[in-house]
Amino acid sequence: MCESCVDRIFSSGPAPCPVAGCHKTLRKNRFRKQTFEDINVEREVDIRKRVMHILNRREEEFDNKRAYDDFLEQREEMISNLVYGNDVAKTEADLKKYAAANMDSIKANQALESKETASFLERQAIEQEQARLRRQAARQEYDNERREMLADRENILSRLAAGKPGDAAAIAREGQKVLLKKSSARRSEEDRMRQKQAALRGVEARRAGAGQQPTTADADSEASSLIKGLKKIKPPEPEKPYDPFGGFNPDKRDYYVLQDYYPSSWLDRIRDDVRMQAGGYDLREYYSRTLLETFAGLGCFIEDEVSNRNNTTLPVSKSAHSQGIGTDVF
Amino acid sequence: MIEDDIYRSSTQFRLWSFTRDSLQSLRANTNALAVERIRATQRRVREAVRSTTPSTVEASTPNPSDAEGGGKPDVIARKDVVCLTPEEELEFVGYYCEQTLELGETYKPSLPTAVRATAIQYLRRFYITNSVMTYHPKSIMPCALFLATKSDHYYMPLQEFANGVPGITNSDEVIAPEFNLTKGLRFTFDVRHPFRGLEGGVMELQAIAQGSGKPGPHHPEKTPEGLMQALLAVTPLDSSPDKQRSIAIRIAKAHSKAREILKTAAQMTDAYFLYTPSQIWFSAFLLADRPLAEFYLDIKIGPPAADDGVNADSTSPLTLIRAKLVSTLSNCSQLLKSYRPVSSDPDKRKSLKGIAKKVYQCQQVEKLDPVGLGRAQKRGSGTPASATGPVGGADAISESDMERVAKKRRLERERKEKETRDIFGGELVAQRNKGAAM
Repeated sequence: MCESCVDRIFSSGPAPCPVAGCHKTLRKNRFRKQTFEDINVEREVDIRKRVMHILNRREEEFDNKRAYDDFLEQREEMISNLVYGNDVAKTEADLKKYAAANMDSIKANQALESKETASFLERQAIEQEQARLRRQAARQEYDNERREMLADRENILSRLAAGKPGDAAAIAREGQKVLLKKSSARRSEEDRMRQKQAALRGVEARRAGAGQQPTTADADSEASSLIKGLKKIKPPEPEKPYDPFGGFNPDKRDYYVLQDYYPSSWLDRIRDDVRMQAGGYDLREYYSRTLLETFAGLGCFIEDEVSNRNNTTLPVSKSAHSQGIGTDVF
Repeated sequence: MIEDDIYRSSTQFRLWSFTRDSLQSLRANTNALAVERIRATQRRVREAVRSTTPSTVEASTPNPSDAEGGGKPDVIARKDVVCLTPEEELEFVGYYCEQTLELGETYKPSLPTAVRATAIQYLRRFYITNSVMTYHPKSIMPCALFLATKSDHYYMPLQEFANGVPGITNSDEVIAPEFNLTKGLRFTFDVRHPFRGLEGGVMELQAIAQGSGKPGPHHPEKTPEGLMQALLAVTPLDSSPDKQRSIAIRIAKAHSKAREILKTAAQMTDAYFLYTPSQIWFSAFLLADRPLAEFYLDIKIGPPAADDGVNADSTSPLTLIRAKLVSTLSNCSQLLKSYRPVSSDPDKRKSLKGIAKKVYQCQQVEKLDPVGLGRAQKRGSGTPASATGPVGGADAISESDMERVAKKRRLERERKEKETRDIFGGELVAQRNKGAAM
């Protein structure tokens, strides 16, 4: 459609499509300039762009290469369906459903993509800038060189003009030598510069590589029915509070519950004695030790446990003994 | 049960707990080895005597009265020494355990009960693997007591301690057998006594009597008031009326009675080897006041399964422990009850005199041992085990030993002097050879 027709029909807000049989409502701002000469190519590009925008899963989200390839194939199939008009309604419904279900992951991937492109563009700009600077430096170098050469020549000439005729050959030789020296110094300087730049570039490349770490997109856990083979991403468990004893309670006792006070006439005296308390003596220490000793070992039955202990050690020596006999006999 | 696991990690449980049979066989084995050693010594003495004075041995006539004196080598050589049986050894050790108690009393102030009990246990542990025929308890006993003052944080200077020990003039005599003693103890000095356990139990009972006792972690349904009521309902020992005041007195009485048992009977019997400290104090408490002790066991571990086997869970650890405890505690109380002090038993005194005589004979044989003389123990010499020579202390170092040491030192000094005179020091190779030779 030509620009003036668009202006004419749609300048007063959305209007139905002027093509006969098409009942879509169109808006002016959705119109744009045609890029390709063939309208079909243009249409396919549009569709592709839209589908790619929705089905924007990345390779690292899949279990393996095969699953990713399947996904790509599926995407192509959907695009071709839309382009060639097969199953348009179903494909559209699928797409819409998928878009609704995976809003978050789509958004995240889009953000990632835009970030990537941004960083790519940035890097490109930097590289261009650097190239420009290099070129400039080279040009300046060249200019300097030329200027110097001219100045030297002039100098020699003036000395030749002022000097005695006998010195001419010596002056010419000297001038030549100076020139040579300068050029060799320059060359070595250039080498050094080049090496420096190469090293710099290497560092930059590495830095860029480090910055380009694949960020794991947090795809939503509800596996979409459309795409198969997605990695199961489980959210990390919330960290438990730190427990130095690994679940063991060192104050737990099986026979008694420690009290803060026990009636005892001679312990009460200690409780009130400032001389004893001043050093930090705590009667509860005595309580805990005493009560522990009250019950420690109550359930240890030496008659059983020690004889078990002996039994476990005895058979070993016995068998060793019989083995020894066996080797003696045979 | 966590408390039991804590006890299981102690050396008393790991190294010094035995069954009755293993304890008996260990003692029999020790006795047999000691007897064998004395016989071997006697053979050596006999040969030595024969080689030096063959004519006198043949010429002399047997004289039974000489056996009492026993000083002359030919007499001992001829007559076989009567050795002790394991039972006699145990009785002899028991006598010295009582002596330990008495010795502890002589100090001003007298040594704490725990120190004396530790010393007694050291003695008992030591004489499981060593025989009284080899090491006379007379020298070991003060050493054990002194060691106990150190390991139980009851500081006492050695000189002061030695002054209190009768029959000892030099303080070095006290510590002379110390290394052998610690070796016999397998370098484990920790003795778990039942005294503090008894204090804890009484503390809890008093708290219950005041109505402030907390129920055990396995019986959260009980209340302090309920516990107090139950304690008041415990059947009285005699027909005294029940009042809160009197229950406290009753607990105190049972406490002192049980403590007395722990001080004496628990020390003088094998209770420490056969039972754990908490079982020992429970048994003593059972002897002192059976209803009270049973009440305490019931609230702590639950009633015995035999009484209400209907609702008790037979697989729960508490029920299992309670079932085993009944027989263990009764065995332990039997053992504690069986103790009779030596002083109250004239027959025992008489038999002890006989044993002492036999031990003396054995010591005489040891003294004559031509090999043993050279191997006499000296404290801190670092000589390995050698449960051979008698523990004679400082005086046991023989003359020849002293001479040899002196000569060695002199040679060393001379060599050093020669080396200092030499500008470049001694010859390296020669020095090494010398060192190896020495």
